Amino acid sequence: MMNRRSKLVAVSAAVTLAVGALAGCSGSQGGGDGKVTITWWHNGTADPLLSLWDGVARDFEKSHPNVTVKVEAYQNEELQRTLIPNALRSGSGVDLYQQWGAGELASQVEAGYVMDITDDVTDELDAIGGTAAPWQYQGKTYGLPFQFGIEGFWYNKDLFAQAGIDTPPTTLDELYGDIDKLKTAGITPIAVGAGDKWPAAHYWYNFALKSCSPAVLQKAQSDYDFSDGCFVKAGELLQQFIDSKPFNDGYLATSAQQGAGSSAGLLATGKAAMELMGHWDPGVMGGILADENGGEAKAPDFLGWFNFPGIEGAQGDPTAALGGGDGFSCAAWAPKECVELLKYIDSVEVQSKFGESGAGLPVVKGSESSIADPNLQQVLAGLHSASYVQLWLDTAYGPTVGGAMNDGIVALFGGKGTPDDIVKSMEDAAATL
Amino acid sequence: MTAAPLTRPLRRSRRRGRALIIGFLAPALVVYLTFVLLPVGLAAVYSFFNWNGLSALDRFIGFDNYARALADPVFQGAIGHNLAIVGLSLLIQGPIAIGVALLLNRPLRGRTIIRLLIFVPYVLSEVIAGLAWKLLLQPDGPVDGVLQGMGLGGVVQLWLADQNVVFWTLFFVLCWKYLGFAIILFLAGLQGVPDELSEAAQIDGATWWQTQRHITIPLLGPTIRIWAFLSIIGSLQLFDMVWILTGGGPVNATTTMATYMVQYGFQRSQLGYGSAVAVILFIVSLIFALLYQRFILRRDFGASLTRGVS
Amino acid sequence: MRRLSQPAVYFVALLAVAVTIAPVIYVVIGGFRTTAQINADPAGFPDPWVWDKYGQVLGSPAFWQQALNSSIVALVTTAGVVMLGVMAAFVIARYSFRGREAVFSLFTAGLLFPLSVAIVPLFVMLKNLGLLSTLAGVAIPQIAFQLPTTIIILVPFLRGIPAELEDAAMIDGASRLGFFWRILLPLSGPGLVTVGVLAFVASWNAYLLPLLILGNPKTATLPLGVQYFATAYSQDTAAVLAFTSIAALPAILFFTIAQRRIVGGLTGAVKG
Repeated sequence: MMNRRSKLVAVSAAVTLAVGALAGCSGSQGGGDGKVTITWWHNGTADPLLSLWDGVARDFEKSHPNVTVKVEAYQNEELQRTLIPNALRSGSGVDLYQQWGAGELASQVEAGYVMDITDDVTDELDAIGGTAAPWQYQGKTYGLPFQFGIEGFWYNKDLFAQAGIDTPPTTLDELYGDIDKLKTAGITPIAVGAGDKWPAAHYWYNFALKSCSPAVLQKAQSDYDFSDGCFVKAGELLQQFIDSKPFNDGYLATSAQQGAGSSAGLLATGKAAMELMGHWDPGVMGGILADENGGEAKAPDFLGWFNFPGIEGAQGDPTAALGGGDGFSCAAWAPKECVELLKYIDSVEVQSKFGESGAGLPVVKGSESSIADPNLQQVLAGLHSASYVQLWLDTAYGPTVGGAMNDGIVALFGGKGTPDDIVKSMEDAAATL
Repeated sequence: MTAAPLTRPLRRSRRRGRALIIGFLAPALVVYLTFVLLPVGLAAVYSFFNWNGLSALDRFIGFDNYARALADPVFQGAIGHNLAIVGLSLLIQGPIAIGVALLLNRPLRGRTIIRLLIFVPYVLSEVIAGLAWKLLLQPDGPVDGVLQGMGLGGVVQLWLADQNVVFWTLFFVLCWKYLGFAIILFLAGLQGVPDELSEAAQIDGATWWQTQRHITIPLLGPTIRIWAFLSIIGSLQLFDMVWILTGGGPVNATTTMATYMVQYGFQRSQLGYGSAVAVILFIVSLIFALLYQRFILRRDFGASLTRGVS
Repeated sequence: MRRLSQPAVYFVALLAVAVTIAPVIYVVIGGFRTTAQINADPAGFPDPWVWDKYGQVLGSPAFWQQALNSSIVALVTTAGVVMLGVMAAFVIARYSFRGREAVFSLFTAGLLFPLSVAIVPLFVMLKNLGLLSTLAGVAIPQIAFQLPTTIIILVPFLRGIPAELEDAAMIDGASRLGFFWRILLPLSGPGLVTVGVLAFVASWNAYLLPLLILGNPKTATLPLGVQYFATAYSQDTAAVLAFTSIAALPAILFFTIAQRRIVGGLTGAVKG
């Protein structure tokens, strides 16, 4: 389960982006007595991830008697925007830390904070394949992913049946048709957590993916070149979509994951029929319903998944997919045992445990059989059949351009701003880099 | 309170007097300079750079950050929101607080309890208050439930999601949080109004309202002026509550200068820009403070009790 | 005082109290429900009353550690602010010397800086001083930022103590220091309590600075703890409400105890 940016935590996150608490934990010690401590930070604050990583740490300690692993979980947004940047800037405090890759990784590497592990992980790179790319920079490897998945629509099969929809849509026109059927049946078609901004932004990302060729997308990521008209087209498609009014009431203030009023919550409690979200959604929904299930985090049975629909006449690669994942990096000052721990995390054995836990989709070849949830299997199949996987655009472009982009998209959702404005704000932000 | 000059010569104690002053002033001054003024000065320095907080501080860009901020319609909107809150707080919280304080300033059963309860919101941390209200204002949440229960279902709005309503929701929550402080402050001020005056006025035939208007409220002057000053400064620097309740949104409908600084400066990894916005925030506060002190507070703090030391 | 429509007054008072307290009551009572109950009926009463959530919070060692941290920081901050503040206010209020206006304005200007302005440089400074991850690293900057309010309240207050008292003390042979220690301080009790309580509450509720200095939840103060809890357990609304209620309690209790003194203290400050 991957908890992403929750509004509440944005408080701390935002203000102390480059400043902030240095955890009291000591950094690693390569001592004369050969004892080594590795401090490990991750974002799995709840089960199944919490217990999983704990177990991994203990197992690693068993096989490496001179190593102590201090593993600590922090809320995602806080970790990403506050704790990690602070620790990196102060040159101590953490050794193995959560890494989302792409733009963030690049600035960390440029500042000299990340360990270059290229030579140590050749086997793992073979086993992981293309999805390791966001954790690489200028030909060198600076981290490894442990999960990666693509995005799609999670939907309530029962509500769809109620509205008379037999099969999930495969084209945008079909989706419009299904939205109408749901409305007729008195069901809220789509829940979106626009209050957190990024869930709304993902709609634009997907439209951009469908409208722009992979070459244009890659150029956008490397050069911040958004001059191609496809980006404006994406905005126009989004505008049309918003105008069809498919969303829950008050979506501008709905959160993505917090409580029953969040978009995940609405879907989990049967108050909305679908949600565009990443592969962690079942885990989040399970958490929201845990209380009712006697403490067990279990996703609802009515859950199904379908790919973002194709768009007739669109210029983009129809088999391209939008996705993202999580990984870990070792800090430049970490002891070499940190790389060992990272390789252990990406071993088939641990990755299979990861898959079994239902926390997400493992990346290492040979671990796929561990995935039990048929929905997640579907997501994995979609990932493997995608010809091109584009990383979440805000992660890809980094916080400056990404932030401007998300704000521009939310403005569109709010009835202010135009498709051109979105691109303009991205270009303006890129100019200030 | 007298202004009688010190008459005893005590010249021998001149140096000791100066030592006393320095000794007493130094600790506070040192701590203050080191941990407040120095960092603020450094922040001003950062504002002239393009800096992402991770790399070295080496991209000097002069006043570009300032120009960008002042030209940004979102920042202009933020300033507008701050000024609106300044004005609304003075116009709405002030009279209500004075009114409630006047009413409560009489022997009442349970007066202590009432005063205590009214002050509770001020005592709560902003995190807690913000969290609570966010939960209360959800669509179909407790507030909506209560309104519907009272038959006022038609009044229900999307308190936090509707761009036209959210600013007023925010202001309501701010009033909730800070009205108690104002009331308590005015109650304290009212203690200083001698009963004999109002009794004399009553004997002369004045109504309760006339008494308040012509005697009590003017005597409350200094208190009102202090409260207004604190209210203005607080309104200009507003951050915690807004951030937790709305994050400045939706779509920048409730931005303040401080939330803008955080959102566009820190969240977007542009610390130089964020520092420039912080400096602008300081300058705006400074202008208000200086004007206020010069024109309004001068008569309160101006006359000073001077004790010559030398 | 004329008894003017006493019922009307009570009505206003009760209305004010109701609006003020209702949200707090909601949070407290919410902690006695389960999240499922809250999801089903946000505005309802607990049915049945569930003690688990409060138990969960009270039983967690992290909570008590955070409460302890908050207490230590608040007490140190309060003591520091009151001591430094009364000393500085004393000389500013009662003695003229070159630069007095400037010093007073300097402190007043401090009201204009929100902490967020100084955060980045402050972090670097504290790191260089080795004060990161220490409670002192939180207390000292808090003292610094609280000095302006303290001095502004104390200066008119101390000025209100009659000059004759000081003259009399001098004639009796006391030094200025003696006057300060034995006469002025006791007399300024109410004022000191006022600024002390304000400092305590400000420190207790402080969020940004502790976040900056104390990243690890184990060394965090309560507001941080509330937020960590709220985000880590963001899906368990009832637990969040329980934690929030308990975290709010100390400040409310403290204020209850000190309440009478505060109003008295504010009276003195305002009269000046």
